[in-house]
Amino acid sequence: MAWRFLLAGFLGGLCYLDRTAACQVMLHRPLVVATLMGAVFGNSSAGAAVGAVLELFYLARLPVGASVPPDDTGAAAFAGAAAAVAAPSTGLDGGSFTAVLLLAVFFAETGRVADRFVRKINGRIAHITLESVEKGDLQAVEHGLQAGLTLFALSGVILSLAFTGAGVSVAKYLLPNFGPGSRMEFSVLQPVLPLLGAASVYSCSRTERTAAVFFLTMAMVFGITLFLRWAG
Amino acid sequence: MTAVAGLSRDGRRRVWLRQFLLQGCWNYEGMQNVGFAYSILPALREFYADRPEEALKAVKRHLEFFNTQPAMGAVILGAAVRLEEKAAAGETDSRAIGTFKVGLMGSMGAIGDAFFWGALRPMASVAGAILALFHPLVGIAALLVLYNTTHLSVRFRGFEAGMEGQEGAIAWLRKAALNIKTEDRKLGAAILGGAYAGMYTGRFAGMGGTPLFAVVMFLAGVALVQLFTVLFRKAVSPSEILSFLLLVGVLILWQ
Repeated sequence: MAWRFLLAGFLGGLCYLDRTAACQVMLHRPLVVATLMGAVFGNSSAGAAVGAVLELFYLARLPVGASVPPDDTGAAAFAGAAAAVAAPSTGLDGGSFTAVLLLAVFFAETGRVADRFVRKINGRIAHITLESVEKGDLQAVEHGLQAGLTLFALSGVILSLAFTGAGVSVAKYLLPNFGPGSRMEFSVLQPVLPLLGAASVYSCSRTERTAAVFFLTMAMVFGITLFLRWAG
Repeated sequence: MTAVAGLSRDGRRRVWLRQFLLQGCWNYEGMQNVGFAYSILPALREFYADRPEEALKAVKRHLEFFNTQPAMGAVILGAAVRLEEKAAAGETDSRAIGTFKVGLMGSMGAIGDAFFWGALRPMASVAGAILALFHPLVGIAALLVLYNTTHLSVRFRGFEAGMEGQEGAIAWLRKAALNIKTEDRKLGAAILGGAYAGMYTGRFAGMGGTPLFAVVMFLAGVALVQLFTVLFRKAVSPSEILSFLLLVGVLILWQ
């Protein structure tokens, strides 16, 4: 198990770097992170299943100006690991699936606090960089940036280790405590979660035609899905 | 006037690559200031190769507050390199560089935020989420390809346009017509978002087995999407809604 955590920390660190500090090529998106963590802990499909729902939750929270959106990368690290470990023991039934997604909210908010903390420390690094440049050290700019990057990466590794650890613990010790009956009752909330994600997309893609286009497509795909399900 | 050779091919490549670390030291005071100074540093080293005092002044100029959408930063970076080249040759006042950056970062930020965060990312995300239901790798590939084809192209072409000077940057912006593309991507996201909602609602409705249950599920789905949208508009965060749902779940288990 130790090597799985090492790998999760390394991959999580890379994904966290992509989130703010480097590239922004979307390696930090929940779908990618949850699938990766699922693969690391033995079940990429379970990771992808939770990642596909988690992907849309926070889309409407834009990283604009000084606002720091909730950490959906961390939430995905938790959910992907939890889903992968829970899948063989509970079969990742509706109740466990719902519980993992709802519990992920704590990690999204904890990650946001950590992100703000890193950015505050970066303020000190930027200040030192400026002071060094004033003294004539041009290389301070490169050192300052490297320090900032290292801080982002280090925080990413620590958060990934902590969140995947929490995910594995939840799947191993919390979820099996609830019987199939309880999990079945909990699963009544499951249909609400994808709709929350769809509402996120709807609210950030507002144009004059959005409402008509969105609900017409929803009705059409709903009909096709239902037909395919009942027909075969 | 001082004779200054244009930026070398290697210098240009290094500046372009360094733009990917624009947010490497993001902080609340100067935001992307260290990242911008780091990105433009190879160019400044070439332009002021034998004038260390001037180089120092130039670096300090770029350590002032800077914040824009990271991909759109490429245009400003390219144009700033061109202006620095002119300033080093004595063809323009170095104070114009700061004014130019401040003038452009707000509008570029607004255009970029609306296009990348408000339209392209939702469209790529929802496409990935739908396709991941068929196969995880297909979903991930769709997300990454849909987003990065445009993202990397803006980073490349925007930088090239900026390097042609302010006029080049403005001409590229006009040609790129990002405002029209924003509308298109938003519509694409709405179509895919509707498909995503319809697919999930249809799956759950199918479990009931009766047409009446299916109709009730569909209407409930539409009502929930509307309700969540209204809550988002009233600044209720998804985390608050999810916490409330978790509380409801705990109450269900309690009974």
